[in-house]
Formats: sequence, C-alpha cells, structure tokens
Amino acid sequence: MNVNEVARLIKRYADEVKIVGTRQVFAATDKERYIEALAALRDNDLKHLTTITGVDRGDTIEIIYHIHCGESLLNLKLALPKTDLEIETVTDIFPGAILYERDLMEMLGVQVRGHPDPRRLFLPDDWPKGVYPLRKEVKK
Amino acid sequence: MTFIIPIGPQHPALEEPTHFRIEVKGEEIVGVDLRLGYVHRGIEKALTERPYAHGFYLSQRVCGICNATHSLAFTRAVESVAGVECPDRARYIRVIDAELERIHSHLLWAGIAAHEIGFTTLFMLLWRDREHALDMRELLFGNRIYATGTYLGGARVDIEQKHIPQLTRALAELEKSTKHYIDVCTSDRTIIARCTGVGVLTKKDARELCAVGPTARASGVDFDIRRDDPYAAYDEILFDVVTERDGDVLAKVVVRLREILESIEIIRQAIDAMPKGPIRAKFPENVPENEAVGRVEAPRGELMYYVRSNGTNKPERVRIRTPSYANWPSVRPMLVGGTIAEIPIVVASIDPCFSCTDRVTIVDAKTGKSRIETKEELRRLRK
Repeated sequence: MNVNEVARLIKRYADEVKIVGTRQVFAATDKERYIEALAALRDNDLKHLTTITGVDRGDTIEIIYHIHCGESLLNLKLALPKTDLEIETVTDIFPGAILYERDLMEMLGVQVRGHPDPRRLFLPDDWPKGVYPLRKEVKK
Repeated sequence: MTFIIPIGPQHPALEEPTHFRIEVKGEEIVGVDLRLGYVHRGIEKALTERPYAHGFYLSQRVCGICNATHSLAFTRAVESVAGVECPDRARYIRVIDAELERIHSHLLWAGIAAHEIGFTTLFMLLWRDREHALDMRELLFGNRIYATGTYLGGARVDIEQKHIPQLTRALAELEKSTKHYIDVCTSDRTIIARCTGVGVLTKKDARELCAVGPTARASGVDFDIRRDDPYAAYDEILFDVVTERDGDVLAKVVVRLREILESIEIIRQAIDAMPKGPIRAKFPENVPENEAVGRVEAPRGELMYYVRSNGTNKPERVRIRTPSYANWPSVRPMLVGGTIAEIPIVVASIDPCFSCTDRVTIVDAKTGKSRIETKEELRRLRK
C-alpha cells in the first residue's frame, strides 16, 4: 500500500493524518478506536507490526504502533494521560507484539490488560516497583 | 511427564549469554522459555543524554557485527528530523559500507552454523573468506569492525579511486567462493541431513510473529527494507530480494549465501554509478522539534530507529528495534516438536545477536508454566 491508500484506510479511525515524505504516515488515534484501527489494518493483510514505541511527553505517555504497510510505514499514535495508563493488549491482532508490550509495561509503566505473559522483559527481578526507567522523572 | 533442561547463560553451544529453559518429553521439545537480559546496557536512555554527534558513535556500539547499519539507521532518522539531505556520493558510499557489512556478517553466520553442526572444515574456510570483506572494510573505512562510512549529513571518509581495483579483486574472490559454498551446502550429505526439515518456520508463523530479514525470507516472506523503504542509493540500484520457501535451517543457509551474491552485485553497481562531488553536508548542532523513523535492512533484518527531537542538541527519545529482538518470538515454533540435538543449530539459524536484543525474557505464551528462579541467577551474576 502506498501512503495515500494507507491514509485513506486509517482516516476512519484516526485524526491528524499526516503524510511525511513519500513513505511515511503519522496519525493520532484514541483509546476508543485504536483496537478497531489495528484490526482493520490486519484485515487488509498488513500483518507486520514493526514495533511499539512509548514516549514520555510530560503529562501523557504516547504509544506509537509502527506498522509496515508494504511500500510505506504507518505510525499510529495513542496518547494516554499519566493518570490512566491502561490499554488493551494487541497480541490477539499482532501475535508478534508480545515482547514489545512487555517492554512498554516495564519501561514506561503502561498497564497492558489481557497480555498473555506480563512478566518483566529486560529489567532484573529485584528492580524496584513503580520505577520506570524511560520516564522523564527518573534521574540517574 | 516433562523435564526442564536449562541451557546457559554460559554454555559451550551458545556464543553469547542467554538462558533457555527447554521443556522436554523424552527427546522431544514441548516448550521453550527464554531469558535474555544479560547484556542489557540501557542504550536507549543513554542516547537521550548525549548530543547527536556523540550518540552517533554510541549507536554503533549497540552491536559489534552490524555497527555500520546501526549508524546508518540512526543517521537516517536523525537526518529526517533535522531535514538534512545527504550528498549523492555519500549515498553510494553508504551502500558499499552496508553491503560489505552484510557480506562479512553472513559469512560469519554461515561459519558459526557450520561449527554448530560439527563441520569444522567448512567453518574455517568460510571465515578465511570472510577476511576479504573485513580487509576491504579496513582499506576503505579504516577498520575491520567498528568502522563505518556513514556520518551525520553524509559519509565519514571518501572512497579513493586507487582502492577500487583491490575492492574489485576481493569481490571476484568472494563471488567465486560463495558460489562454491552454495554448491557445498546444497549437496553435502552432512549438511543436508542436519539442516533439511529442521527448525521449520512456516510462512504463516513468520508473518504473524512479525519475523524479519533472512529468517522471514527463508520462509517465503518477501520483505526487504532496501526495496520497500529505500534509503541511501538503493532506489537507483537493481537487485533481487532473495526468498526461499521451505523455512528450514537449510533455507536460511541458502538465503544468506545467495544474498551475499546480491550484495556483491550491489557493490559493483555502486562503484560504477558513484558520482563525484562532496561527501558531507553540514549538520546543525541543535535540531528543531520533530520526529522521524529511520529503517534500514541490517544483515539480520529490519532495523528501526525512532528519534524525537526537542530543539536542543540532544534527542528527547530514541527507540531502537533491532532485528534479533523481532525474531525471538519465532524461535519457539522453530524449536517445539524438534529434538534436543537440534537446539544449537536452530537457535543459531535466526543469527541471534544478544547484545542487539539486549535483555529479554520470552516466549511461552501459555501462562502457568514453571517460573524462572531468577534470584539465584542474579546472585550468581553479581559475584
């Protein structure tokens, strides 16, 4: 799919659809629609989730699902206020997301509901509870 | 009744530290749990505490084998956020750099694979020929490993005309020997017996588990960032994306060896098509607020950097997704159903790079499986 086709497909589920260059689409979705959006992508035979990125933006945590769409890359963003950091797992849509969600949970403290294996991924088991190393408030 | 066989973190069959817990029923593997994390260094965080020019060097240190592609992916993302265009000549230098790296990485892997199945002669021969690629890296970029042709805004060094004949000769040697190795690997009885039908990853699993690189291509998934999201000068170069259908270890061997031949052709085209001109554009000290994703095809597959800038000389966030990290979930279907003796070669077949992945614990999605006694392991580590 080229960028225009991806933009057309995602428009129903996201706002601020922005085409960057010839190969990338950025879009912002919300908690109500992101599962539908990802399922719609999968149903269009876009099965490769490149990764999930979490970014601490101060008051919010921004989660970005990077989906490889053949000729282009879709970066689907979901902003969560730090007071409500709970999302549904997407492992039933993209089984390959299993590690990326664990990464997200331990590094940024996002709670992923329904994850089949919510153990720690990278951090040692005696890492203190409630300390998320990629949060801004964490200093050396 | 099943038993757990622990393998690692230190084990003769593993090149790098990881810890497997293989659940077996007799000889048959029925479950796999894997704990990585022994080489986690927190590089994503460290990159946000350094100026871009320093982060560039740190990004190369993510991996000892594919440092050129790491710097290229970092540079691609950072150049996008800064809006810097790389000069034409530098784009070709980057291609030559990346492909020399792919050749030496694939030969290194093939050598390890030969070693894992006990074919030590082939291991020695493959590593002997890998020297050609390493020598060329030294000649062109100054060092065998840990040298790169890329720099922020262009190339770090120019390729001198006087070095081209040597490069051409090395490529001819590599081509001859790679063709011979393809013959050996597809006809030798030992290799066929050890690799055919072993560690099969079906196309369906490869797609669902989001496998990348030769691991996915050996299962028939036609996916290569060089073609799908071209960078450097790949959009001006003709090459085939090599795929195989079987998904077993032999297919993974053949895909990588055939990719070496493609790489050789790519370098030849790049030498011929390389324009004259400047090799570096000015890169600003402070980068305006922006975000971008830079992807490249590393020897092991799709490598992704996400960079978010904030107007200062340091990035706000850098996310690295290395190919080995993406390929770990695929190891489970490759191992389950096989036998204990197959573990080393099957694990090796994804060409895992632990430093790349850093860290992890994986895979078995079935909950309630026996827990890892990590306290013991950690205590051992601290000593």
